[in-house]
Amino acid sequence: MKNDENTKTEASLKEIGGAANQVMIEAVICSLASRYGVKSAAYLGAGISGMPASEPFLAVTYSADWVEHYKEHRYVRIDPVVSIGLRRLLPFDWTEFGEPEGVLKTFFGEASEFGLGRRGLTIPVHGRGGDRALFTITTDLSERDWKREKLHYMRDFQLLAVHIHDKVLELEGAPVSRAKLSPRELECLLWVSDGKTAWECSVILGLSEHTVRCYLESARYKLNASSNTHAVSIAHRSGLFFPIL
Amino acid sequence: MILTIESIDRQKHPGLIDQMFRMRAEVFSGRLGWEVNVVDDRETDRFDDEDPLYLLSVSEETGVLQGAVRLLPTTGPYMLRDVFSVLVPGGAPESPLIWESSRFAINPRVFSVAERAEANHIVHKTTLELLCGIVEVCRSAGIDHVVSVFDARMARIFRAADCPYEVIGTPARIGKTMTYAGVFAMTDTMRSRLGAVGDLPSTVLAGPSWQPGEGLGERHVA
Repeated sequence: MKNDENTKTEASLKEIGGAANQVMIEAVICSLASRYGVKSAAYLGAGISGMPASEPFLAVTYSADWVEHYKEHRYVRIDPVVSIGLRRLLPFDWTEFGEPEGVLKTFFGEASEFGLGRRGLTIPVHGRGGDRALFTITTDLSERDWKREKLHYMRDFQLLAVHIHDKVLELEGAPVSRAKLSPRELECLLWVSDGKTAWECSVILGLSEHTVRCYLESARYKLNASSNTHAVSIAHRSGLFFPIL
Repeated sequence: MILTIESIDRQKHPGLIDQMFRMRAEVFSGRLGWEVNVVDDRETDRFDDEDPLYLLSVSEETGVLQGAVRLLPTTGPYMLRDVFSVLVPGGAPESPLIWESSRFAINPRVFSVAERAEANHIVHKTTLELLCGIVEVCRSAGIDHVVSVFDARMARIFRAADCPYEVIGTPARIGKTMTYAGVFAMTDTMRSRLGAVGDLPSTVLAGPSWQPGEGLGERHVA
């Protein structure tokens, strides 16, 4: 990964981590929409503890009017992105809905009036307890540019989607209980804290570099860290390194 | 050719999905003697309720199911953490960029009627097709790694397919079977390697409008 790409992810994850309420979540989503050059971004959470399915948690970059409009018209019932998305695993493009007709045509038409882009990508989130969410971004890029951008940013979007979801759960009083680090994950983190690269870790530990990266990815997620550096700092503060040291 | 079927779309391919559950019963209960839940000759478990993604290897000529596997995200309920935690006593991996592959099975009917050499070829080809399918799907979804629980038999299949993995945690005997947890890198290199072994240079994924019996259907260049 190039340095500037790391920076984008790291900056976005840091901002998400720092959000303390709904308004801040929306500000964060606006910020990352601009960072990634997308026209809009939105988070929709369902099955979050205590929330009925008819009242999803919404955080969007587009106008509050659209959210009002959406709720007034109970679009959650016909929104294909929602009805299909909440049970999907693969990120999906809005083009799969083809040319919308009838109610859906009105729905998508109105959406674009309120500032949504013509092209959309939705990342489904599967949470520990069966909770689900959708993170959607829209753009007005050309088809070709969009195809390229999607592939390029898919990994980032997966990270952002889950981190926003986890933050929302936390704010709704249902924080994700994160698993503890395995000995190998901790070991990799310890070597990273000593300035070693993933490759050097792999040599030291007798593992493939990919496996080390896998351990580090898991360690970062379990610690809710925005980067390896952040993960190391959290691990230190939490005394996780003491048994080893 | 690989069909990717989301759980919510199961009813679009009722015959194939049913064949898959029957095949799983035959393989996991019938042949391997695992303690799995079989009702009406079909094997399902609670993870089928978690909206996994199914990859089905389907014969382009006959439309018959040759094999299948399913994928689940490690951020949600998944087998290694929730059922096979004994293999990872220190804790199972968890990340939006790590998925789990499970219930990998090749249809016994595909090779029992054919001549031995031909049968081996179909098994080998189907295995590689499924593995390529997993890598392609993961690459498109931004997924970096796949973990999986497998036995010695499956480990041999991976070796024969030149599909590298690394064991994580501690292997353990579960029932009669030595069982491992492994991690696989979802990279272009992996895809090329599998493609070379299986002679599968272009995408194995069927286009969205493919229907059984339609031969090649739509092809998207990877």
